[in-house]
Amino acid sequence: MGKRVLIVDDAAFMRMMIKDILTKNGYEVVAEAENGAVAVELYKEHKPDVVTMDITMPEMDGIQAVKAIRAFDPSANIIMCSAMGQQAMVMEAIQAGAKDFVVKPFQQDRVLQAVARATGS
Amino acid sequence: MTTSWDDLQTIHLSALQEIGNIGAGNAATALAQMLNTTINMSVPKSGVLPIEDMLKLVGKEEDIVACTYCQIMGDVKGSIFFLLTEESAYKLVRLLAGDAILDNQEMTMSALQEIGNILAGNFLTAFTQFTNLSLTQSVPALAFDMLGAVLSGALLEGGHWADKVLIIETEFFAQGDALNGHFFLVPTMDSLKKILNALGLEI
Repeated sequence: MGKRVLIVDDAAFMRMMIKDILTKNGYEVVAEAENGAVAVELYKEHKPDVVTMDITMPEMDGIQAVKAIRAFDPSANIIMCSAMGQQAMVMEAIQAGAKDFVVKPFQQDRVLQAVARATGS
Repeated sequence: MTTSWDDLQTIHLSALQEIGNIGAGNAATALAQMLNTTINMSVPKSGVLPIEDMLKLVGKEEDIVACTYCQIMGDVKGSIFFLLTEESAYKLVRLLAGDAILDNQEMTMSALQEIGNILAGNFLTAFTQFTNLSLTQSVPALAFDMLGAVLSGALLEGGHWADKVLIIETEFFAQGDALNGHFFLVPTMDSLKKILNALGLEI
């Protein structure tokens, strides 16, 4: 049974790409969210093993979503996946409780490595 | 002291050009990584131009273009545009995701928007490292329309009401001249001062 993943990104195309990488490598994508608010709801519903989280999104951004999810589940495994690789942004995400930070554009291996490390598999 | 575009001297423009060079270089590297190909870019140009001249750099007013537009917020306010001719837009998406994606209009648009988002993000990362300014970007908006309509709409939304704008412009090339993309950074006048001060220049 593969680890269960929630993918959060406002771009449908990026969700498709990440989903493709993960399902090909034995992960099960249990849900996809297009903004932070939806992500928090879907996290509560599905309790996934790991979340990939974009930062710049409408409604609720990724940093806020990390805080909300970690408030609900302090052991949540969340990996940021953003085009904004600025040092301050990375620090903020890690402080909010994210386990890793992958800058777009990413190599497939980098995503897999981050997900595997976050889930301890 | 009020500042106007006319106060900009060669040294200022050259500094802005260097920002364009570093930022666009990062964006081009990102694009090359995404497409797994070599992306070349032109030497960036910077200048103060009437809006209609900005348009002429890309093409004719009625040309169909894909434009990804992000607002910049934080220490600096302004806009970032990534413009592609219609042909280049489709070519880029095909290079990125294969022929089949073009059958899905929604996914094609999403891919273009995400390309613009990644380019803007990589541009701004380089920009902040160089200037030590702190910036964020808005969720990108994508317009697929006539060049004239797209640019005037985006400039109005970004609060660039003046008839002149400062632009830092770079062109991208992939596989010869087949990919025609323009990248524009358009800061507001107030922000321009902050950028130049961050580089140790007075205006």
